[in-house]
Amino acid sequence: MARFDQQTLKNTLAVVLAGGQGERLYPLTKDRAKPAVPFAGSYRIIDFTLSNVANSGLRRVAVLTQYKSYSLQRHLQLGWNVFNYELGEHLSVIPPQQRMASVWYRGTADALFQNIYILEKEKPQYVLILSGDHIYKMDYARMLKYHIEKGADLTVACIEVNREEASRFGIMQVDETNRIIDFAEKPSDPKPIPGKPDAFLGSMGVYVFNTEELVRQVIADAKRPSSHDFGRNIIPAMIEQRDVFVFNFGEGAVGGPYWRDIGTIDAYWNASRDLLEASPPFVLDDPRWPIRTYQGQYPPAKVISSNRNSDCGAVINSLICAGVVVNDARVVDCILSPGTVIEPGAVVENCVLMEGTLIGRGARIRNTIIDKYVHVPPDLRIGYDLAEDSRHFTVTESGVVVIPKELPVEQGYELPVRQ
Amino acid sequence: MTRILVVEDDKNQQELYRQELSEEGYEVDVASDGKEAIAKVQKERPDLIVLDISMPGMDGIEAMGKILGSDNRIPIVLNTAYSSYKDNFMTWSADAYVIKSSDLTPLKNTIKQVLENVKQSGS
Repeated sequence: MARFDQQTLKNTLAVVLAGGQGERLYPLTKDRAKPAVPFAGSYRIIDFTLSNVANSGLRRVAVLTQYKSYSLQRHLQLGWNVFNYELGEHLSVIPPQQRMASVWYRGTADALFQNIYILEKEKPQYVLILSGDHIYKMDYARMLKYHIEKGADLTVACIEVNREEASRFGIMQVDETNRIIDFAEKPSDPKPIPGKPDAFLGSMGVYVFNTEELVRQVIADAKRPSSHDFGRNIIPAMIEQRDVFVFNFGEGAVGGPYWRDIGTIDAYWNASRDLLEASPPFVLDDPRWPIRTYQGQYPPAKVISSNRNSDCGAVINSLICAGVVVNDARVVDCILSPGTVIEPGAVVENCVLMEGTLIGRGARIRNTIIDKYVHVPPDLRIGYDLAEDSRHFTVTESGVVVIPKELPVEQGYELPVRQ
Repeated sequence: MTRILVVEDDKNQQELYRQELSEEGYEVDVASDGKEAIAKVQKERPDLIVLDISMPGMDGIEAMGKILGSDNRIPIVLNTAYSSYKDNFMTWSADAYVIKSSDLTPLKNTIKQVLENVKQSGS
């Protein structure tokens, strides 16, 4: 009978699925894969999952990339070159190898099927499958321990979601031992948790498999008509014949059960807003659970106020990163990434500004996400007239304006100059 | 008639398989390595492939990946002198794994069984 011990972590390979196109995050995914989208000023989305891996004591990681992987690969090379190969540790970035198929990944299960060679070379006892686009803190070691104690073939991490959210998740039914007895992917009429009519068990897309079982399942899946998806195909095929259990996120969560799928611009926006709360539901500075990233070299952030009694030169309720310069300008409820510069007289409210953004003199920007290296010309207004903004930029349902990376804003945009 | 493609580099063994499997009532074609096997499969789909692993040129494991990548329904029986490949996940895509011996009975029985399974699964 297997036991959880130090060897368990060494015998586990974490596989991070980082190949999704992220169409609903467009234009933030115009030039990069979803896991490489900058988040919380200094980080990329994938940093949260990889920090969980490292903080859980796991040291063997394969990141499966696919679309637009340049930026992601570069980030991993610069920020995550921390594992010691001589001790058997590694983080490998693996683009599609086309060993088993001459197509790109047709689904999450196909991504593993096409990488059976990696599983063969690594020969781990357990495989932890993760998604590269979620924001949460979780101790995967607790999930592995649970998986082993249950004698499971597959363990699926889950969270409680409400009825509205349930239609976007794989929804599970379990018996009193936490064994999954029913699984429906994105159901229109989901079955609630017994005794809780408005709560549903949703899959987080985090799985622990016994490796041999995983290999058998993805091969069987590859040979039948299927959308090659863990949620849609593999789990339903397994629950009747194999030992499949849920693991409640609450038992593995670190610092509160906060979990967000950054699938859409509005989800990205809301998760960003969460960070600005006085007592945020998700903290970045937990010493027990450091979040790692790559940061360029920047001088300290600087706020310049030429007149101590004026409102200018003020930063209120914001995250500001190294290299930021707020020069006689006003910043309220913002996330300012490294090297952003706000010139005199500008007012920036409720914005996420990514690295190297420049807001020109007197510009007024609100409710806007500005991707890297955009230079906003002086006196421009964005976020005040959504009909006008939507002629030039993406505007989400909830009214967030998104300006894509390196867009030369002054071209083609008639400047609605401040009165 | 059920068509079997035997992929085998050894000429003597090729002849042996051709003769014995023909006697079982199969139509037998032969390829000498993985590359030739892929070309033959693309030209005319066999009902089953008997595939050696260790061959000069493209080996059986790589050929199996490519064949199943273009048609995942073709049943494949790996036929090798080595038992050590059995633990290799790359061989698990095959429908069966047979260790070569001078007596072809185990291979013949396995072929029969695999074809029966295919028939039952309705393809």
